[in-house]
Amino acid sequence: MKLLSEVTKGIIKENPIFVIVLGMCPTLAVSTSVDNALGMGAAATFVLICSNMIISLIKGIVPSSIRIPIYIVVIAAFVSIVDMSMAAFLPDLHKALGLFIPLIVVNCIILGRAEAYASKNNVINSMADGLGMGLGFTLSLVIVATIREILGSGTWLKMQVMPSSYEPMLVAILAPGAFITLGFLMALMNMMKEKK
Amino acid sequence: MMYYIKLGGILLIICVIATGILAYVNSVTEPKIIALKAAEAVKSREALIPGADFEEVKVSDDFSYFIAYKKGSKELLGYTFTAGKTGYSSKVLTMAGLDPQFNIINIKVIDQAETPGLGANCTAPSFSDQFKGKTQEQMLVDKDGGPIKSLSGATITTRAIANSLMEQIQVLKKDVDSHLRGNDTEIGNDVTLAKDKQEVGQ
Repeated sequence: MKLLSEVTKGIIKENPIFVIVLGMCPTLAVSTSVDNALGMGAAATFVLICSNMIISLIKGIVPSSIRIPIYIVVIAAFVSIVDMSMAAFLPDLHKALGLFIPLIVVNCIILGRAEAYASKNNVINSMADGLGMGLGFTLSLVIVATIREILGSGTWLKMQVMPSSYEPMLVAILAPGAFITLGFLMALMNMMKEKK
Repeated sequence: MMYYIKLGGILLIICVIATGILAYVNSVTEPKIIALKAAEAVKSREALIPGADFEEVKVSDDFSYFIAYKKGSKELLGYTFTAGKTGYSSKVLTMAGLDPQFNIINIKVIDQAETPGLGANCTAPSFSDQFKGKTQEQMLVDKDGGPIKSLSGATITTRAIANSLMEQIQVLKKDVDSHLRGNDTEIGNDVTLAKDKQEVGQ
């Protein structure tokens, strides 16, 4: 089914982090622990689906020469609405995810998908694309975070997994550790691709 | 020429619509957010010094503390205040509860946006527990020769917390002292959650 392939393409074939290399800033910042990665992934997926939907709806009335500023206004306004309503009506959820919401505005996956996909496709497909990209983003974040959290803190999802004698490798949770981990993972992805 | 005016006009209309929607959402959510924050501050105070009535004392425009009395009596239980200092990437706000001898009962980091995985670990109880029972003079991190153990990779965050507490305990001590010496009858006249903020006449 076509719709299903719109969703699954974001997970491996067009993975936003390892293949398209979009949204590096939040990836480096929040992949220090698995719970952060899950929080960021959930918040980004939600915004991605909704912003793809809105961009796809207004694509007919947007002149192509000023589409980028319009997309940015739409995305920023939408993220602010999500942030404020969550703080007012779902304070507990906001406490867990609130930190990541401002980061989403500067997440270029959202703008990238608006430009590359939602502005050219219909609403349903755009939402499917948003869901797939969001899932791919979440999955990649969790993989990076798993490596960094286990090496850097000896835990996974805050549970101790390494023996207590393990001395945490601090560099893994610092920014250089994120670059190193990403580099190895991308190399691995490319190696698997070449073998095919 | 007309073409550019038309583009500008479309952009303007979209921005006006977005601003209008945001203004509306803000007007609905803002009072709720403020009320939730205030309720949370009350809750944090009660967690630090349980079973107490609090009375606010304003020292200056940017610092006020709360005197905690045992519920229904005038027995002094301690003081709470919020101290803030810029850490690595944000202002770190810490609420502290002190006993009448100015020893720390407990602290709670109530607002920060430090690096996740490093400085952001300052909200963990395993970090804040080490402040229990410490005095003002002990508010120094290990790298500065004090007893406060720094978070790994986040000495700056730890230092911001310790230093802000040290400074504010100093201000608090001074203010309480001046009250005891001067108008000690004024404190404790009104043992309710003082909505009428008592002015400190200095």
